[in-house]
Amino acid sequence: MSDDERPQDEPESLRTDGAGVGGEASPGPAGAQESLTLLLRDLRNHEFAVIGAAALALVVFPYLLIDGLGALGSLIGFRIGGYEGLASLVLIYGIIVVGFNLLLGYTELLSFGHAAFFGAAAYTAGLLSSTAEISPPFTEASMTMPGIGSPLVMLTAGTLVAVLLAWPIGILSIRRSGVYFAVLTLTFGQMLYFFALGPGAGITNGDNGFADVNVEPLLGVFDLGAELPVVTTVEYLFVGVLFLLALTVANRIINSPYGLILKALGENEQRVAFVGLNVFRYKLMAFIISGAFAGLGGALFIMHEQYIHPTTALYWIQSGDFVIMTVLGGTGSLIAPVFGAFMFEYVSNVISGVTLPVIGRIGSLWRLILGAVFVIIIWNAPRGIYGGLVDLKRALLVGLRRLVWASQHPQKASEALRGWAALRGRRVLAIADRLPGRGGPGGER
Amino acid sequence: MIAIQISAATLIEILLNGLQQGAIYALLGIGLTIILGTMNFLNLAHGALYLLGGYVGMLFIRENRLTAGFLFDSGFTSVGLDLGFAAALVLVPIAMFGVGVLMERYIAEPFYERPETDQLLVTFGLALIVQELVKATIGGNTFQPAAPSEILGVTVGGPIMLPIVGNYPQWRLYLVAIALVVIGLTYMIIERTDFGLIVQAGTIDSEMVQLLGIKINRSYSLVFALGAALAGFAGLIGISFQTVSPQIGTEQALIPAFLVLVVGGAGSVIGAIVGGFILGITIAGMTVLDPQWSQIVLYAVAAAVLLFRPQGLLGTAKVDA
Repeated sequence: MSDDERPQDEPESLRTDGAGVGGEASPGPAGAQESLTLLLRDLRNHEFAVIGAAALALVVFPYLLIDGLGALGSLIGFRIGGYEGLASLVLIYGIIVVGFNLLLGYTELLSFGHAAFFGAAAYTAGLLSSTAEISPPFTEASMTMPGIGSPLVMLTAGTLVAVLLAWPIGILSIRRSGVYFAVLTLTFGQMLYFFALGPGAGITNGDNGFADVNVEPLLGVFDLGAELPVVTTVEYLFVGVLFLLALTVANRIINSPYGLILKALGENEQRVAFVGLNVFRYKLMAFIISGAFAGLGGALFIMHEQYIHPTTALYWIQSGDFVIMTVLGGTGSLIAPVFGAFMFEYVSNVISGVTLPVIGRIGSLWRLILGAVFVIIIWNAPRGIYGGLVDLKRALLVGLRRLVWASQHPQKASEALRGWAALRGRRVLAIADRLPGRGGPGGER
Repeated sequence: MIAIQISAATLIEILLNGLQQGAIYALLGIGLTIILGTMNFLNLAHGALYLLGGYVGMLFIRENRLTAGFLFDSGFTSVGLDLGFAAALVLVPIAMFGVGVLMERYIAEPFYERPETDQLLVTFGLALIVQELVKATIGGNTFQPAAPSEILGVTVGGPIMLPIVGNYPQWRLYLVAIALVVIGLTYMIIERTDFGLIVQAGTIDSEMVQLLGIKINRSYSLVFALGAALAGFAGLIGISFQTVSPQIGTEQALIPAFLVLVVGGAGSVIGAIVGGFILGITIAGMTVLDPQWSQIVLYAVAAAVLLFRPQGLLGTAKVDA
């Protein structure tokens, strides 16, 4: 699923390209192009460049989301512009799915229980900042929460609790693989959910949700809601910096020997064991690391929303949402899941408010749309939205190059076009032949 | 926890309630386990089949007043065929059998050769789609349970006087009886027919079955359809005493079905039946003893089985540890 696994029609496009050019290309520009490609590749492998580009994208992102899409929306007559808080929310989920992808995309472990870490961290951070009376189960005692609202302390505590929770859950779950791993993680997550809803209601305020969140200014000075020039709000800057931090950490992990072992685990666990590495330990670390990311995201989430409910925090559907985001964006590449998080949050928060001519207000149909896109992506495009974007960019570049060449050699271009069309036609016919279900020639499993 | 005195009456009531819940779990578990065992296909849309069975059943049984959804928006105030429960008992499994055939052919089949993660994900997406489609057409509101008062002239509604327990809803006894008959029939099909033999052999080594010249594709289709019919039937039973909403698939069916699967053992029909009743009685008992902890204990039982006996109580399928 990595970048070097090209789509199948790649060689063919190269072939048509090559047949057209027919060795006539002058060596000059090609050489220059090659060195440019090399330079780009060097840049891409350089951490500073990756993080710098991401930072730049983060500065532009709210403008694109709010003003860009807003302007586009007013052009076509729909309200599809984002709003201020959405940018932060996307980045918060971005942090979570970047971590989740370390587990799903690289180590290839499918967890349906990451809401546990997200929710536990959110409740921890929220409780820390609150001054509510809580009464733990099994005791008559009650205690008052300290009311520490410093964002950094809340984050640290939340992430720490997530790690401490991921440790035992990981130790137990990783002993099984495949679907049994998924069911075990789901089981532990659900236990926590029902605990928060029932016996633990004295702590979490149960079904009423927990709203006593008092976030103090960052470092005692910067109010998170305050407006800033260029980067909208202090909160966005704060979340953005943490996002970059998370991205850097994930990038380092992936490009380290450690990350290579995680990747190897995803590809062939048995071989990793044969090399003499402790498979269990590496899987556990991958699980804990991804749990820590989910925890960081959870703590940020409660600062952002100022409210949490067991269903949004701990229910297994929330874990499923992390899975959906990651797969939508694309697994197996560092930044890809973030696109999924964006897509998910954008569809659920903005597109759901759009009113269409025939259907009416999309409203709760958004989950249907997302589910359909999700299924299509699993079915046909395992590389996700990001993979699609990469393909699109490549196709555009190839198309551009061909256009330039065609304008230089109009005669040969028409010939090549005819050849290409004939080839395509044959392929379409071949596909049509195979269409009716399994009934194709020799249709056996 | 606090020790609670349990009277004989409570005990019997727990048992009866446990049998009801357990029968539903067992029906769900059998479907899931034969599909997993035979085709190595993990169906996270199994809850969606339960949901469909429940809603299709509800539409067969009575007229339902609509308050929201696409049908309501297009002018319908009520929807349903008002055929009664007896008709639903026959028609729901047939309809769901058809759904199962279609689903096997167009959803499952393309994924047999793909990794199990892909199977999980695509069926998870499908489950969401089905739930949202139901919500969009009939509305997301809750419907009352569709308990029948009489079936084919026999009064099944109202309370009945039981020894020791006292008054008990009569329908629930019939429900247990009907479910047990269906479970028994399924068991007989799997154990005593040629088709069942092929299915059993398929769970152990489907390639070998193929080598013996048996058209396993057809059996696959039938197994999937049988699983779907059972899940749909469980849905019908479920809505006859529980309220109906689009969430029942994911909340009341999918997760329990998977818990039954891990407790009973993948691929074992008898395991699914035993697992279903164990979990059903566990939750019924905990609901009486300490309802707050009932779900947690249910999950804890499943986790304990997975950790200490990964092949399940009666499973034979190998689990890579």
